[in-house]
Amino acid sequence: MDIFPSKNKATVLTEAEALELFAFLLSSARTQIDDPALYASMRLLTAAEKLREFIRDRVSPETEALLSNTDELTTRAHIYMSDLEAYTADLDELCRMTAQFFIDQSDLKDGGS
Amino acid sequence: MSAEFLQIIKSRRVIRDMTDQPVEPEKIERILDAGRWSPAAGNKRTIRFVVVQDPLSLQMVRVFSPGMFQKPQAVILLCIDWDVVVENQFAEGDKSPYIDLGAVMQTMMLAAHAQGLGSGPATSFSKEALRVILNLPANLTPEVEVCIGYAAPKDANQLPMLSKKRVTWQDLTHWERFES
Repeated sequence: MDIFPSKNKATVLTEAEALELFAFLLSSARTQIDDPALYASMRLLTAAEKLREFIRDRVSPETEALLSNTDELTTRAHIYMSDLEAYTADLDELCRMTAQFFIDQSDLKDGGS
Repeated sequence: MSAEFLQIIKSRRVIRDMTDQPVEPEKIERILDAGRWSPAAGNKRTIRFVVVQDPLSLQMVRVFSPGMFQKPQAVILLCIDWDVVVENQFAEGDKSPYIDLGAVMQTMMLAAHAQGLGSGPATSFSKEALRVILNLPANLTPEVEVCIGYAAPKDANQLPMLSKKRVTWQDLTHWERFES
């Protein structure tokens, strides 16, 4: 079952952007073997930010609003990495915000299928 | 030591947000010259500098460098030359080349800062990918990327990460013998 039936056919990533993300994730997988454990979280956050910047101009207005709403929090999360409690709280808020978007954009909002 | 030089040391920051303003070639050369004057174990020069300024090459290097947050106008890749290490009979496991790396890195970053440039090191990158992208010879291993560029205004005087308490030299120092 598709979570977002109306968005399924939208192409929001170019081949070049996909390749850049692919290379970033592969390189992160390798460097993380040597890097501090907390960096793994930061790399994933950076990957999410890259994805956001790549797709921003080609998504629906609703998705663009979600992406814009995450701007400040992701930036702050990087700054507060040295404060694990604040960093965790920011990531939790980002997850909540995104989950709420999923609900708002799906049939679940109206009681589910 | 002049007060000005001390101030250069104390005001340098790792810059993670750089503008697209090109860096003057003579400034890069001064940074490289400063790196050459760094202390080196046994006065053997085990570190090689690979300068990357071509925009396409820079972009490729960046793609395979998860630790590179900035978009630099130049990257000076510091490599250990293992031919020199072997020729000079460094013992296996000798960390001297890595100490030299740190000295070169810091000297270059200070030279960049003294010329009004920002800099930032990165070690999280795929060595094998960079070997391919830059066609590095087998005797060189890429160890540290020194990113160079002009700091974006908001980043010019900021620490990239907040610290709850500023560390002082006293925090890091112990005088004389430790008590038993």
